Parts: sequence; C-alpha cells; structure tokens
Amino acid sequence: MSGRGGYLVSKIAWALVTVAVVVTFNFVLFRVLPGDPAKSGMRDPRLNPEAVETLRQRFGLDKELFLDLDGDNPLDTQFTAYLAALGRGDLGTSYAFRDQPVADLIGNALVNTLWLVLPSQVLAILLGSALGLFAAWRRGRAIDLASLSFSLFTWSLPTFFLGIILLVAGANWYGLPTAGRITIGAEFESFAELAWDIGRHLLLPTLTLTLILLGEYMLIMRSSVLDVFGEDYILTARAKGLSTYRIIRHHALRNAMLPMVTLIALNLGFTVSGAIQVEAVYSWPGLGALTVNAVGDRDYPVLQGAFLLLAVAVVVANLLAELVYGWLDPRVSEG
Amino acid sequence: MTAMLEATAPPAVEPSRRAWRRFLGHRIGLVGAAMLGIALVIAVAAPLVAPYDPYEPVRVTILDIYQPPSAAHPLGTDDGGNDVLSSLIYGARVSLLVGFAAAAMALLIGGVVGIVAGYRGGWIGSLLMRITDFFLVIPDLALQIVLVAIIGPSLGTIIVVIGALGWTTTARLVRSQTLTVRERKYVLRAKAIGAGDVHVLRRHIVPAVLPLMLANMVLVISLAILSESTLAFLGLGDPTVISWGQMLNFAFGRGAVSAGAWWALLPPGFAIVWVVLGTTLLGTALEDALNPRPKRHHLEAPGSDVAIPVPAAHVAVARPPTTTEAGAPILSVRDLAIEFDAPGGPLRAVDGVSFDLRRGETLGLVGESGCGKTTTVLGVLRLLPPGGRVVGGQVWFDGEDLLALDGRALRSFRWTRLSLVFQGAMNALNPVRTVEDQITEAIRLHDPGASRPASSRRAGELLERVGIGKRRAREYPHTYSGGMRQRAMIALALACDPDVIVADEPTTALDVMIQAQILELLGGIARDFGMGIILVTHDLGVVAQTCDRVVVMYGGVVAEENAATRVFAEPQHPYTQQLLRSFPDLAHPDRPLRGIPGSPPRLDAMPAGCRFAPRCPHAFERCAVERPPDYPAAGGRASCFLLDPAEEGRP
Amino acid sequence: MTAASPPLLRVEDLVKAFPGRRSLADALRGTPAMPVRAVDGISFELRPGEILALVGESGCGKTTTGNLLMGLERPTSGRVVLNGEEVGRLSRGDLRRIRRQAQMVFQDPYESLNPRMTVAEIVAEPLRVHGVATSDAGARVRVSAALGAAGLTPVEAYLRRYPWELSGGQRQRVVIAAALALEPALLIADEPVSMLDVSIRAEILNLLAALAHERGIGVVMITHDLSTVAAYADRIAVMYLGRIVEQGPTRQVLHDPRHPYAQALLSVVPVPDPQLRRPPVILRGETPDASRMPSGCRFHPRCPKAFDRCPVVDPALVMVDGTHAAACLLPEAGGGGAEPTPSG
Repeated sequence: MSGRGGYLVSKIAWALVTVAVVVTFNFVLFRVLPGDPAKSGMRDPRLNPEAVETLRQRFGLDKELFLDLDGDNPLDTQFTAYLAALGRGDLGTSYAFRDQPVADLIGNALVNTLWLVLPSQVLAILLGSALGLFAAWRRGRAIDLASLSFSLFTWSLPTFFLGIILLVAGANWYGLPTAGRITIGAEFESFAELAWDIGRHLLLPTLTLTLILLGEYMLIMRSSVLDVFGEDYILTARAKGLSTYRIIRHHALRNAMLPMVTLIALNLGFTVSGAIQVEAVYSWPGLGALTVNAVGDRDYPVLQGAFLLLAVAVVVANLLAELVYGWLDPRVSEG
Repeated sequence: MTAMLEATAPPAVEPSRRAWRRFLGHRIGLVGAAMLGIALVIAVAAPLVAPYDPYEPVRVTILDIYQPPSAAHPLGTDDGGNDVLSSLIYGARVSLLVGFAAAAMALLIGGVVGIVAGYRGGWIGSLLMRITDFFLVIPDLALQIVLVAIIGPSLGTIIVVIGALGWTTTARLVRSQTLTVRERKYVLRAKAIGAGDVHVLRRHIVPAVLPLMLANMVLVISLAILSESTLAFLGLGDPTVISWGQMLNFAFGRGAVSAGAWWALLPPGFAIVWVVLGTTLLGTALEDALNPRPKRHHLEAPGSDVAIPVPAAHVAVARPPTTTEAGAPILSVRDLAIEFDAPGGPLRAVDGVSFDLRRGETLGLVGESGCGKTTTVLGVLRLLPPGGRVVGGQVWFDGEDLLALDGRALRSFRWTRLSLVFQGAMNALNPVRTVEDQITEAIRLHDPGASRPASSRRAGELLERVGIGKRRAREYPHTYSGGMRQRAMIALALACDPDVIVADEPTTALDVMIQAQILELLGGIARDFGMGIILVTHDLGVVAQTCDRVVVMYGGVVAEENAATRVFAEPQHPYTQQLLRSFPDLAHPDRPLRGIPGSPPRLDAMPAGCRFAPRCPHAFERCAVERPPDYPAAGGRASCFLLDPAEEGRP
Repeated sequence: MTAASPPLLRVEDLVKAFPGRRSLADALRGTPAMPVRAVDGISFELRPGEILALVGESGCGKTTTGNLLMGLERPTSGRVVLNGEEVGRLSRGDLRRIRRQAQMVFQDPYESLNPRMTVAEIVAEPLRVHGVATSDAGARVRVSAALGAAGLTPVEAYLRRYPWELSGGQRQRVVIAAALALEPALLIADEPVSMLDVSIRAEILNLLAALAHERGIGVVMITHDLSTVAAYADRIAVMYLGRIVEQGPTRQVLHDPRHPYAQALLSVVPVPDPQLRRPPVILRGETPDASRMPSGCRFHPRCPKAFDRCPVVDPALVMVDGTHAAACLLPEAGGGGAEPTPSG
C-alpha cells in the first residue's frame, strides 16, 4: 500500500507545483509583458505626476517585482503582495464594472459555465464511450465507418461555426432562444416554468458542446478498446468460454477506460476552448464570455483572474483523473 | 503467436516503400491531399481567380450590404458591401500561412525538445517533459487569448503564439518515438562500435523519427488553422488582413443572422472545414501508414473461423473414432487445413495435419518458427485470429466434431474439456483483476451452482497445487514474477478439471531453472489428474524429457510422428535427422553441431513438392514435384519418399 | 592459444553498482537508496583465440559484465585491461581507439540492423565512425573481406541488399561482418544465437569458433544456455548474483561441476534423449533481487547442500585443481580448508 500512497503523494505534489507555476506565470504575464495595463494607463499624458504616483502606489508598482534586496524587507515586493491578495481570495477590481470585485464576477460566471459544461461533458463521455466501444467491436463495418466519419467531421468543424449553424437552425425552425441563460424580464409562475425556460436556453449551447466533444471521445475510446481487444488476456477469456458480452463487460471495459481517463483529463483544455466559443456565440454569461468581453474592454484584472481560474480548474481536474486512474489500475503502485 | 503474425505478414518489402504502399491504400489520405492541394492552389493564385480585390477600399451604400448572390457577386456581399467570394479566396492565404508557419514553428520546438528529451534522458529529459506536461494542462485557447490580448493582434503575433503553444503533442510523440529508436539494438550496436552522439543522431535517430514528425506536422497544421480562425472569430484576429474567422466574426457580430444572410456565414465556415478536414485526413493517413497499429482483434464474430468448402465430402468421411476401447484417442485431428487472408490471396499455413492424443498422454508438437504448430492448435481450439480460418479437415474430441459446434456449444465445451496455457503468461492474465477472481470466474461460469466461497476455496487449492499458495490469491498478476504467472496460468487451466491441456511454448522466455520447475509441475499434473497434454515447443530437449509421443512439423505439414523414444533413437525423416544433429546435447558435449543450410520456407513461397526438399541432402527429382504421403516407418509414420518401398536402394 | 601467450583481456575484481531505485514516498521518509551490485567482484582472463562462456540466469550480471568489457559502462571499482590498456580509465578519444579492438555481436539480428541501410553501409559504418579506410576503394576492400570472413559469399550478392531481404542467419552474419570490419582482437557475443531457429544456430556458432581458432580473436560468449556453448567454449564461467561461482575448462565444468549451483544448472538442461531422463536438481524459488543480497554465501538460501557456516561466510573463488575454481565452502568444492574461519 505504500506504493499507492507514494503515487498519491507524488501526484498531489506535482499538481501543487503546477498550480504554483501557473500562479507565478499569471503574475509575470501581466506585469512584465509590454502591454502592462497599469503602466500603459499611467503613460496617459493627461495624468499629473501626483496622480501617477497615487496609481503606482495603489497597484503597488513602486515596489520591486520579486525580490527587494535594498529595502528593509526583501520580501516586500509586488509578487508577495499578489500572493497575499490571492490568499485572501482578492483578485482585484474590475476596470469595466466599476468597483465590482473580480472574484465575485468570476464566481458567478463559473457557476454558469459549469451549468453548460458538466451536462455536455457527461453526455459526451457516456455517448462517446458507448459509440467507441461499439465501433471497435464492429471494426470495419458500417457503424464503425459512420462513427469515424462523424468524428473526423466534427473534429474539422470549428466549435463557433457549429454553434452559429445550430443557432440559426434552432431559432428559425424551433423558435429556441439564442442568447443568455434565462428570458430577461420574464415572470415565472412556478418553478417548473422557470426550469423549462432555463432548459430551453441550455439546449442549443449544450448540444453544440456535446457534439464537438463527442467525436473526440469516441475516437479515443475506439482506439483504446481496439488495443485491449488485441491483448492476450482477451484470447484467454475467449478460450475460457466467456460470451462476447461477458468479455466486454468484465475484461475489456475497465482496461479500456484506463487510457480513456488519462486522455479525458488531457483533453480538458479542449473542453475549455469549446466552452469559450460556445459562450461567445450564445452570449452565455460564463467564464468564456467574461474572458472574451474582458479582452474587448481591456479589463486586465478580469482577464488575469479568469485565466488563473481556468488553468487551476484544469490542473485540479487532471489531478482527479490521475487519482481515478490510480484507483482503477492496480499496477500504479509499481510507480 | 509469432506463427500467425508471420503468416499474415506481407512479403519482404522495404519498410519505407511498405509505408508508402499503405498510404496509397488509404483512399481518404489521397482525398485529403487533394482537398489541401486545391486550397493551396487557390491561395497562391488568389489575385488571378478572385473577381475583386477585397483589400481595395470600396464606396458602399446601404444597398450594397448583405446583397444575396448574383451574377456580379456569386456569393453575395458582406456587412461592408465587399464581395464574399473574393474575401473567401484571399482568406485562404491567411489561413494556410498561419497554419503552415505556426506548424513549422511547433514542429521545430517540439522536434528539438522531443529528440533531446528522448535521446539525452536524465534530468534534462525529465525537466523538458515536465515543462511539456505543464503546457499540456494549460488550456491553450485561454492562454492564446491572454497573450494575443496583451501583445496585440498582428499576424506575426498570432503565428508565434499558436506555434509556441502548439508544440507539446509533437514533443511527446517525438520523445516516445526517439525513446523507442534509442533502445533499438542497431543504435546500441552503433554506440558499441564507438559512434558519437552526432553520428547516432544523424544516421540512426533522425531518419527514423522524421517521417512520423512530418506526418504529425500535417495534423498540427489543421490545429493551427482552427486556432487562428477561433481567435479571429473572438475578435483577436489581425485587423489588417482578411481571414475566414474574421469574416465570420464580422458577419455574426453585424447582423447577418437577423438579415438572413446565410451567404456571409456558410462559405467561410465551410472553407475552414474543407481545409481542416483535408489536412486531418492526410495527416491521419500518413501517421497510420508510418505507424500501423497491430491488426489483432480477438473478438471477431463467432462462426467465421470455419469455412470448409465441400460439406458433403466432409460428412462422407466424418466418422468419429470409437472412444470405447482402451487407449482410444480423446482428440483426433484429421487433415486439418488453415488459411490466412493476405494481400495476394489466401496463404495456407497448415496443410493436412493429422494426429491423435490419447487420454493421459503427453504429445509434443515440435518445429521451428513458422512451421504452423501454434496455428494448428489455435485452429483446433477455434481461436484463430481474424483473417484465419479452417478450410478443411476434422477435429474430433471424445466423439464430438469441434468444427461443427455452434457458439453456445463451443463456449460450454471450452475450458471444461480442453483448456490452454499460453506462451508468455505476462499478457495472458488480465492485469486489473486479481488472480483468484480470474480463476473463480471460470469455475462459476461453467458451474453456475458453485457458491462464491466454494469456488474461492477451490481457487486457493489450485494455487496451492501449483506452488503459489492461497496467501497470494487476492493479488494482481503484476506482483507475480514470470514463473509465478505461468504457474497461475496453469492453475487457471486446471480450474474446470479439463481432459486436455494445450500448452503453447509454456517455458519460452523463462530462465532454465524456472523452466525446469514449470515442466516438473506440468508432468506432475499429467500424472496426478490423468490429463492429456499437448506441448507445443521448438525445444527438442524439452520434448525428450517430457513427451510420450512426438509430432514433428515443417512448413505447415507433419514430417514425422512416432513415440518419443523412437523419434530420438531412429529418426526417419531427413528433417528430423538434421534437426537432431543441429541440436546441442549436454550428454555428448563434444559432438560437433551441424546446422541445416538454407532457411524454412515462407508461406508465400512454399515448395511445390516436399517442403523440405530445397534443404534436404537426400532430395531427388521426385521430391521437387510431388508431395510425399505418409509412410509407416519404425512404428510411426514419416512423410518422405525415401520410405517409399518403390524407392528402395536410395540412401 | 598456448598458456604462455600474454592475456588479451584481464578482468580484475570488477564491480558495478547501480544506485538503488527509490520512490518519492521513500525519499520523503528519508529511506536511503540501497546500491545494487549487479557485478560484484569478478576476475578472469582471456587469451587470444580463446572462447570463454559467461553463463548464468537473468539477473546474474552477465550482460552488465559485457557492457563493462566494451566500456559502454564505467566500473564502480576494479579493472578491465584490454591489450595492456585499462578500459574503464580511458578518455573519450582513447575509448574510441580501444573500441576498435573490441566489438560486440548482439542477440537479436532482426533488431540490430538499421532497416534503412544497405549491407555495405552497415558493414562500412564502423570504418566511417573510426575514420579507418577513408577512401572508397579501401573501404570496399575491407567490407568485402569482412563479409567474406563472415561467410556471406559471393560478397557482391549481398552488398546492396537491405536487412529485410535477408534471413535471420544471414542477418546475424552481417552483424558479425560489421564487427569484423575493424579487425578486432576481441568479440563480445551477447546471446548470439538465442533468437535464431535451431537449425541455423550451429552455423553461426561454428563461424564464431572458426574466427577464434583461425584468426586468434578472443571471444566472450554471454549466454543463459549451457548446452549451446558446451561444444564451443574453451572455458566456462558460471555466474550467480553478480559473482563467478565456478570457472574452469569446459570439459571439467561439465563433467565435474563442484559448485552446487553449477551442478543444479547442469542437471536441469533438457537433454534431447528420452532414454536419459535424469532426476533434475530443481532449485526452489527464484534468484533473489540483487538489492536483497543474502548474507554469507549468496547462494545459501537456495542451496540443497547448505550447512551452518554458509549464512556466515562469503566464500571466495578458490582453485580446486590447477585450472578449475569454485566459490563454495564444501570440502569437495575445495572450500573447506582454504577459507579462513571467521573470528566471530
């Protein structure tokens, strides 16, 4: 069991290191690169020197970046201030929404994004695994070729373009709402009506994201199942007299899920990218839309916070996948 | 399992040419290349084919906006009154430029990182891979948005950002490929010669890795094109150039949906799909051609493995050997023939093999690689891989014709009457299930009345019998050593108390002391349980020490069959004689060994007459044209014309 | 071949220890990594034209020994002296020079040839690497000579062919030809025939024997299979867990093995004669991991003849007669009197 404990410790350690690097990277990105928001703001010729100084102090820009070797406290720097603020959950204040704490904005957006991503993700994984399994079993037959073509096509389809097509089709032919997560200004008599309204708003974005993710998961599952079907222990299972159904259920499925778990984790970046595009098309008030709007408004604190959250979320999800893997595969204790 | 792989392997062709042929076999790859080619031609010839120059400023009135398709504007006009078709054609330039430039950059970074990490290894390698892992978990679109927003959206920035974030998959691929090549024996040999790193990299590593790298680059191009259009759609495109993503951004953001202007939305979207689909098809086909996946698939639909062409003849001859008399065979194989699908038509791997196994007898099936011994037993067991099928003969087991069993009957026959110990038990046990679990599964499958505790107890007893001990029953196979896994496999084979166990090279790849342990175990089991054993092996020593009878196979046929003592004392077939002379014998260490000149025949180039004739020192004219039948000899039989009474007088 | 000729290769008390593997959890707990002594103090000599077989099961250290002889790995301690020069102490440049004298033949002829190179290129590669015979004509002469010596005649029929066009036996001959191109004094053959079909093996072994006896090349044959080397080796060294436990002329080791491990190993080799079914001495269990080395004699936990001193005293390799040595405390193995009794 010590091996398994070691696996756990090393994976958590690696996740922590990654988060630390992400945090530092996020700091450097916004302070050092040429487009530094505060600096460019201060170059505004209309500001007088006192105002610039006030701004510098407010942003803590009068301090050294990482290490202050001349001062009384070498650690009294911009970086430590940033870390301390992060520790308090303080991500700064939005430029665009005056005096709105970035943390609040992002928190609300995150909830909306999860409403969109979780159902799509679950649906795509379930459908994709089932289709991939079936395609691998019927390798070279019609169902296999159809699913392969479908995956290749959705892979080549830009998410935002699929979103636009479904939006036009859904709005024109089925009268579905095309923007936001709820009808603005509507009065709902009951909870059922509210749920119905939200559901109608969710339908198109979820469908878009599911279709985009589905092909990818199907391909992964298919190749993973094909690998397992070629293993000698499947031949042993056949020689033992197991039926095809039993072989798939008891010998192929769990083994095939192993690479699947890892690849799902590695593909989370892909999910994030899909979510950003879908939110942009459907004006879904989530993290993606927030990010895109922040770019338009040059709202750097929001951009910085949203990026940090997205990156950390993917790292955490990756860690979860690794832990699931460790739980599924008895061999990880080997290291 | 090597036998069947060899049987399906195409004839000797240069690897790179083989890959090329495989690629041409992929029609989708050619389609992809054509799609990409058309896009490239249009991009290069944009000024010639576009009806208007979209960069030329035009004066527009409200009436020019979102004009539907017409003769003047085949794809209508956009929100700025510009000709959509012309923008579309010029947009190809931006998409392809970004795609190729970013992919080239990604390839360069990823290639260098991958080769260094793979070849150097050590702490530099792990550091590089840690960095790669880091970039792999960062959501790239989010980072691209942040970077482009901070640096400013110019075409150069976009290329650099996409390229600088797109190398991670290439690096991982190149690293794993480099690691594989680095461990190839020819690279070790070059190092042993005294070759330096530069020589090894230049002559051996890079040539081996490069083709796969280029195939991967094609896929990276498609990713880069998608990234560029996404950024442009999100308003982060270079405002000074026209790209497909930007066309969609403007159209979508400026009322094309409400204006019903499908012509402003669909063409740029499908242009992206066209190029990305083309590159993806091409890249997938290239990767598949260079790195073909093994075609093994152990779950083909049942029933397809037997295709005996003339059932009437089969019925006429089919008469089960009587099993009542003492010493009657429990397993009788008659004229078994097996074919494999191959590109140039089916190849016959086993051609008319017959033998009998009596109860409690140990039969050795011996021969060199490719002689068809493994294929024979897989055919008997109805476990041939896809593409292989029994095309003739009968297999009688205790009065039942195995080749006629349907799926259900076959399943209940398996393991209860006849079980199997594979070559290389490393992979024959499922790694994610405990050993006990895999044994009780067989017990409970064939005896639904067996309770869980009872079958668990039985599994423990079996593991005790094979020398593992029930203490370790609940462990996973990977905690066992190679020898223990083979013991566990034997315990599994005993689970349903079968009449016959087939052991296919059960000791190959095991150390000689472990081999002795396993053979002792098998011998003890045959004695204690009165079980028949078919031992498939290439090792004459193992046969001599364990078998009662021996079947010597060569080139898919039986060369000789006899009692073990007589095969070794008075071999009748020239092949057996020569094989014995080339086999080392510790009892006579001073006897010089003599090899057999030439090599065993290939399936696609089987000699017309006797299969051994080209290597036989006694061959005469008849051997080259006629296939020798079995002649009785020394109490057994051998298939050689020298034993034909008509040929008396020959050596 | 005479005993008077100076040794071509001298190995003195050679040790190779690898750092033990340690998991992150162990590192955090501060458990130290135990070094694994893959080769633990072996010594032997090889004369020109002599064939020495290093025999042992997997994990006995025979492959590491081969790598040490080639200078592919540096010894932890001890010396490998080839033609008077110490391999382990050489600089990079000198190492390259000495490698011209020692060449290696690998196990797997299907893997050890680059599929992208022709036979001529493969055999010429060592010449190019070492800058020998830089002219095309000179290289061609040496390549032809090497192919001829390896039995690939007529040479012209092979020069332009690719490895995939050759049979297993022919490929192994190409490997041998490439090794011969530099006219080495020493060949290290690591399982040279184990991947070949039985009917092919004898020819390759006969070729190696001919090279030793006719050209005076020293051959170290590394193998797990006693029976294949029996007819070819002049001397046999049996290895167990990093040590040579028995060493001597082939005939004496085969007919009169002294070490219980060598006796057991000989008894389990299957003899192709059903009339000679001897009861083998089957050792129980498996060779322990070198990281968990038993105390005293490293073979004692599995030894059928172990007695009370075996777990305490680590026996040295001592002569049983003029040329035959064993590392065992049993009197019949020569160990009883020769080993000083430990004070404790």
